[in-house]
Amino acid sequence: MTPAHDDLKHDAAAYALGGLEPGERAAFEGHLAGCAECAADVRELQKAAAGLPHAVPQVSPPPSLRARILGGAVATTPRAAPAPVPMLRERRALPPWLSVAAMLVVGAGALVYAQRMQARVSNLEAQLLDARARAAAADRLTAEARTVAFRAQAAMGVFAAPDVARIDLAGQPVAVSARARALWSRQRGMVFTVANLPPLPSGRVYQVWVVTAQAPVSAGLLTPDASGGGSVYYETPVDIAPPTAVAVTLEPAGGVPAPTGAMYLVGKPSPL
Amino acid sequence: MVIWLCAAVVGFSGRPSESQAEDRGSLRRVADGDSSGLGALYDRHGRAVYSLALRILGDESDAEEVTQDVFAQAWRRAAQYDESRGTVVAWLLVMARTRAIDRLRARKVRPEGRVRDDDGLTLQQLPATAPDAASEMLALERGQRVRHALGSLPFLQRMAIELAYFEGLSQREIAERLEQPLGTVKTRMRLGLLKLRDALLEAQP
Repeated sequence: MTPAHDDLKHDAAAYALGGLEPGERAAFEGHLAGCAECAADVRELQKAAAGLPHAVPQVSPPPSLRARILGGAVATTPRAAPAPVPMLRERRALPPWLSVAAMLVVGAGALVYAQRMQARVSNLEAQLLDARARAAAADRLTAEARTVAFRAQAAMGVFAAPDVARIDLAGQPVAVSARARALWSRQRGMVFTVANLPPLPSGRVYQVWVVTAQAPVSAGLLTPDASGGGSVYYETPVDIAPPTAVAVTLEPAGGVPAPTGAMYLVGKPSPL
Repeated sequence: MVIWLCAAVVGFSGRPSESQAEDRGSLRRVADGDSSGLGALYDRHGRAVYSLALRILGDESDAEEVTQDVFAQAWRRAAQYDESRGTVVAWLLVMARTRAIDRLRARKVRPEGRVRDDDGLTLQQLPATAPDAASEMLALERGQRVRHALGSLPFLQRMAIELAYFEGLSQREIAERLEQPLGTVKTRMRLGLLKLRDALLEAQP
């Protein structure tokens, strides 16, 4: 296996979903051309991705769309494009001055009409931009509300779990005043609430770990608010070994598979 | 009635390859410049293409434009379709998804958009033309199967897949949104897709 393969094979799922950024995509396709293993992998993953469009609610388009599509397609194809027909050649009966005068009259009328239309269009465009800006703001709020609602629901699940355990975490020498509490349920995940964490240096992030007898398992990343506080829900693996502690370390942005940085908070489970 | 139902049910197993053969025939007519082939393709798959675009964009007129673009592209590029890479309907839907996501991204650059009301959309519109009952049932059944498989995935796997496919987010953006390390997002996406594939294959021997 080449090093490129080991790096790139993890992008196969995102590739099958059409979710790679252009640079990543080019690199992956370059690799794909010469790697039978990744090509086979992508084919399998694409079978699943091809099912996704069928999961959306099926809605019928307006009936007029069919005619527009058929009409539009036929008109745009070079095969069906009619040869240009010379139409103006025959119309030489009128004296040239008359057609010039007629054009001036028509031109003046068209100018007035165009100005009126222009004013209407600008007015409508302004209204449209305004409506769109308001709708975009509403869109963002809806998305935020959904995220918040999901978190609240997940957190409620943890609070109500029959197997919930409480872990109080104490600040370590690098952050003596920091405090945190984790509520963990094997089935339902972990709610982690923290206060007084120092501000993050740039390019760094806090990472939360569930420490077990075997190894620390990453629960997820933590970016505290301006006051160093926050409350986060993490999904944790259900088959994890019994936790002996929960800890927070400072790590490079994006997180790491195993802790490398200084420990900021740590605590052991206590009976609830 | 009973006989018809039995025929419809028995028809299911053979149906996908059968409809692929029909699609293949229509596409050949399109490649020959016969617009009746395009009409046939639209009648069979226009609704799926439109629905996918609508799910991604949340806007009816944008979804119509995407649908129009997809069939215009099918008309121009029918000869380039390669059966070894998937069915005709998969080809159409890949085009629809790509075009819809392109629009979604362009919208983010020039902020404009509208409130998405995913749940209300199905109630607002009745089918314009009644699609034939058997293919309707097949589509419903397939949709339910995929929805069920998606719904049974653990939350992070499902979110990683949906954010990538329907929202067009990159792996990095998904990691930020879900507050998870990038490596975790990649593995969850993969696990979720493999489970989804197994669920779909199981139901369709």
